[in-house]
Amino acid sequence: MSTDPNDLESLVNRRYEHGFVTDIESETLPPGLNEDVIRAISARKKEPEFMLDWRLKAYRHWLTLQEPEWAHVHYPQIDYQDISYFSAPKSDDDRPKSLDEVDPKLLETYEKLGIPLHERARLAGVAVDAVFDSVSVATTFKDKLHDAGVIFCPFSEAVIKHPDLVKKYLGSVVPHRDNFFAALNSAVFTDGSFVYIPKGVRCPMELSTYFRINAANTGQFERTLIVAEEGSHVSYLEGCTAPMRDENQLHAAVVELVAMKDAEIKYSTVQNWYPGDENGKGGIYNFVTKRGDCRGDNSRISWTQVETGSAITWKYPSCILRGENSVGEFYSVAVTNNMQQADTGTKMIHIGKNSSSTIVSKGISAGRAQQSYRGLVKVMPQADGARNHTQCDSLLIGKNCGAHTFPYMEVKNPSAKVEHEATTSRISENQLFYCRQRGISEEDAVNMIVNGFCKEVFKELPMEFAVEAQALLNVSLEGAVG
Amino acid sequence: MLEVKNLKASIVGKEILSGLNLSVAAGEVHAIMGPNGSGKSTLAQVIAGQTDYEVTDGSVEFLGKDLLELETEERAREGIFLGFQYPVEIPGVNNAYLLKAAVNAKRKHHGLSEIDAFEFLKLAREKMAMLGMDQSFLNRGVNEGFSGGEKKRNEILQMAMLEPLLAILDETDSGLDIDALKAVANGVNSLRDPERAIVLVTHYQRLLDYIEPDYVHVLSGGRIVRSGDKSLALELEERGYEWVREAANA
Amino acid sequence: MKATGLNQDLLRAAVEEFPADEFSAARSSAVAKLAGVGFPTVGDEDWKYTNLGLAAEISNGWLKTIIANHGAIAEQSNSEQVAMICQEIDAHWIIIQNGIIASDSLAELDGQAGSGISLSKLEFADKDDADDDAMSLFNVALLRDGLRITARANATTDKPIGILLADSPSSAVTQTRIVIDVGDNAHLRVVEYNLSVDPGRQFTNSVVQANLASGATVDHVRIQNRADDHVGVNKVTVNLDRDASYNHNSFDLGGALTRNDVITKIAGKGAAVNLNGLYLATGTQHIDNHTSILHLVGPSTSEEEYRGILAGSSQCVFNGKVIVSPGADGTDSRQSNHNLLLSDRAEIDTKPELEIYADDVKCAHGATVGQLDETALFYLRTRGLGMDEARKMITRAFAAGTLSTLAVTECQDHLAKVLDQRLDNLIGDGQ
Repeated sequence: MSTDPNDLESLVNRRYEHGFVTDIESETLPPGLNEDVIRAISARKKEPEFMLDWRLKAYRHWLTLQEPEWAHVHYPQIDYQDISYFSAPKSDDDRPKSLDEVDPKLLETYEKLGIPLHERARLAGVAVDAVFDSVSVATTFKDKLHDAGVIFCPFSEAVIKHPDLVKKYLGSVVPHRDNFFAALNSAVFTDGSFVYIPKGVRCPMELSTYFRINAANTGQFERTLIVAEEGSHVSYLEGCTAPMRDENQLHAAVVELVAMKDAEIKYSTVQNWYPGDENGKGGIYNFVTKRGDCRGDNSRISWTQVETGSAITWKYPSCILRGENSVGEFYSVAVTNNMQQADTGTKMIHIGKNSSSTIVSKGISAGRAQQSYRGLVKVMPQADGARNHTQCDSLLIGKNCGAHTFPYMEVKNPSAKVEHEATTSRISENQLFYCRQRGISEEDAVNMIVNGFCKEVFKELPMEFAVEAQALLNVSLEGAVG
Repeated sequence: MLEVKNLKASIVGKEILSGLNLSVAAGEVHAIMGPNGSGKSTLAQVIAGQTDYEVTDGSVEFLGKDLLELETEERAREGIFLGFQYPVEIPGVNNAYLLKAAVNAKRKHHGLSEIDAFEFLKLAREKMAMLGMDQSFLNRGVNEGFSGGEKKRNEILQMAMLEPLLAILDETDSGLDIDALKAVANGVNSLRDPERAIVLVTHYQRLLDYIEPDYVHVLSGGRIVRSGDKSLALELEERGYEWVREAANA
Repeated sequence: MKATGLNQDLLRAAVEEFPADEFSAARSSAVAKLAGVGFPTVGDEDWKYTNLGLAAEISNGWLKTIIANHGAIAEQSNSEQVAMICQEIDAHWIIIQNGIIASDSLAELDGQAGSGISLSKLEFADKDDADDDAMSLFNVALLRDGLRITARANATTDKPIGILLADSPSSAVTQTRIVIDVGDNAHLRVVEYNLSVDPGRQFTNSVVQANLASGATVDHVRIQNRADDHVGVNKVTVNLDRDASYNHNSFDLGGALTRNDVITKIAGKGAAVNLNGLYLATGTQHIDNHTSILHLVGPSTSEEEYRGILAGSSQCVFNGKVIVSPGADGTDSRQSNHNLLLSDRAEIDTKPELEIYADDVKCAHGATVGQLDETALFYLRTRGLGMDEARKMITRAFAAGTLSTLAVTECQDHLAKVLDQRLDNLIGDGQ
């Protein structure tokens, strides 16, 4: 099998070829979604009973839901019965044997990003167990993490080894009935990461995961759960990349964060799923639900994201600020070029007294791309002294792109202070001329100005990610000016 | 060094320069004066390669090369520096970053190795000390939130770092109080060099009290109507631009 | 509680009872179009925070009465308030009572309001019926009368034209329609006063359409001071040609539920839109301001500032949309919304939106929800003012800020007076 069973359109063509495969021991389940498929996934992963029940409940609820249409994005109708929801890792025979067999355009991109050579091989799918970088990281530092009492493992492993923790926290932030894609994910997710930081522990290292959609394809509906107990601290990095394909692929992930009293979770994402080509052919549909629950007093959850990939992004990493003095932060850079569409932003729900939130969103639109910031700041009646500051800036490059801002503010407490500021502008001819007069080429000048525009967000990223993010931005905007 | 011959340039169809001639040699300081709208800034912008202006006739040679064939950044790398009348703010991009990129773009152009961050900082600190500037300038966004005087001094710092062969300073004195004017003038004077030519574009004579020019040209109606030495500037100050205009029309 | 919808059968039956007039055809066509639509619900994004259940309930009741009375509408008396307003604001006044123009006021004014200005009964033309949204259709479906103001090229007025919508629950549902055509370089100043002459439940639905030719200017002040049980839905649509400018000030003070839509379209280069608003709400008042500024071409400018003060259990909504179309280069747009919450039961929902499809634009918007400036309070107290007094002073200053942009200064004194009275209530309720 050399075609990716997750490619939406290839599934249509493959239907007859593999439509009769019913043996759950087979590598790939045939396209289609029903209770048997979910039972098969659960059985295949040797899950305890409670997981299957939870999945089925989610599935039954999903059947009652409509796909959301309110986002400012357009794409052809997805046929969910044409997707295959489980595929075991393929045999090594199908993978490229060496970098020589990998698409040179992809390698060129990695080179520009400054990704080390061995890493490039892994990202390109050369290595055997490359789906989850975190697995290897966890292995490498297993002793150190174990000594600290930190659990960092694939989700499927956590379900078996730590069922009580999973049972307690899974779906406690993003319930299976939350939204269409979250319900779908709850029913069919195949893997993801699980992180548990015990009371008072400062995780001794930054945890990272590289997600990748490719032939190995377990990253399609991944689910991440991070629980930080009282007084603990963790920084988690997530990188995403996907190879180029002509077909659209669906990615519907769920991330749940729980921060107890005085705990702090910093979640950073550099998302570079394949965006499709210049004409909008191919690319990932990135429909993700990310939410953090500041459950305890003085807790803090911080989302930092650099989004340059995906054909379509639908994503609103949010914070429920339940604890008193809890803090939610959202720092985002989103770049859309060519035919990309993104509808992204955040939700800050203030419940706890003196809870505060900061939103800094920087959107860059080029080519024929359309980008929207959609945000909600909600202050509940009991959230005395709540504070929010939102800064939301858009930069336009070229005549055919669009940048939109839809900020919702709902305030029900008179002692709250909520401020929203937004600007939209373009790179001015004067700025470009000034840089060029100093001997800097137009392309470098654009990169410099864009990086300056995003500076407030980049400074929130862990160092190694910040470098990658900047490089990524430059690659994403290649050819945007000219 | 710079040979401008019969230069005609227009913007949106309106002719601003109408057959301008100017010759500048290394080591010289020229002052170009003239009333508002006479084409002073246009001349500076055209030499730097601002594409809003269309050159309809004439030639500009720089060290024997046809300048009009070069892109703005190529001209800069060849050694032409324009001190802007209104330096542009570029939020978030710090001065040091822009300067290092500019210095290295030029070095690369001349086949030199790029300088590293350490060398760059050392160089920048030297220049800033020479100009009596605060070190914090390096870490601030390019002209972001700068006062008028700070912006102009920042232009001089950039000039010092880029060591141009020809520096054109467009209304570097405008909007400065007397102390800032002195500071900027001292900076420019310290950059006077037998290898370097400086063209001062100014409306008022007062800058020339601090930077003594070798030649003074008066621009009117898009042409140089009178050239002379320093005394011409004093005469202008006394008799006003009307005098030149009349002389030109006569 | 299940939301009440408009009963389409009652509507159809009632409209059939209406005596035939020049609006008959338009009415039936609107009834037909409305059939598949009905009143908007909170499920519609544009009506997310505003429930028209009460409007539908009042409408259904009134439609029954109309059917019973075979289309006859109750007469209405003049009130002292009307006389007072006409006296306090120096303008050429036209009185519209429950949607019907008081004919004497029209006859008196035509030709007197300024050279080149004419006032007439609306002859329903197709181009005036462009809007197909539910409330515009409802307006046409029950239309009995309308006003047209025409300003010829270069016309001006010595005094503003005053339009007093004097509505009374004697007719529980009222439609008002006003069309304003302004010729090249003409300058028209208009004061629109929304008044309830008697207390009681009433639902009014008004539509104002203004078309501004090249270089035309319209200054439009809208004062809404309705009774406590009043439900009002108001829509203003403005089309601007080259170099035209539209200046709008709205003051929403009364009513149980008020929804305003101000929709402006910039179709000519150099045109400018200025929208300013103030809303003061207390008790269980609900005030919803939706504005939309569409820049079809550039260069063009828009500036918008809405302010709100909320006390009691009131709820206010601000939704400001700025759309810059492809190619509308040189658009410069600024928008802001500032809110003061005086009570812990009040709620503000604000959404300043930008939709931008051109790149050579400068757009900025902002919204704040907050309290009185602590430093200002402290400052006043060091000058010897009591806390309450200091609060009142700063709250008043916040509201009075909107008077500085007032396009029709003839309203200034009257507004200052009514704002003062209203703010006294609010500050009292807020503490």
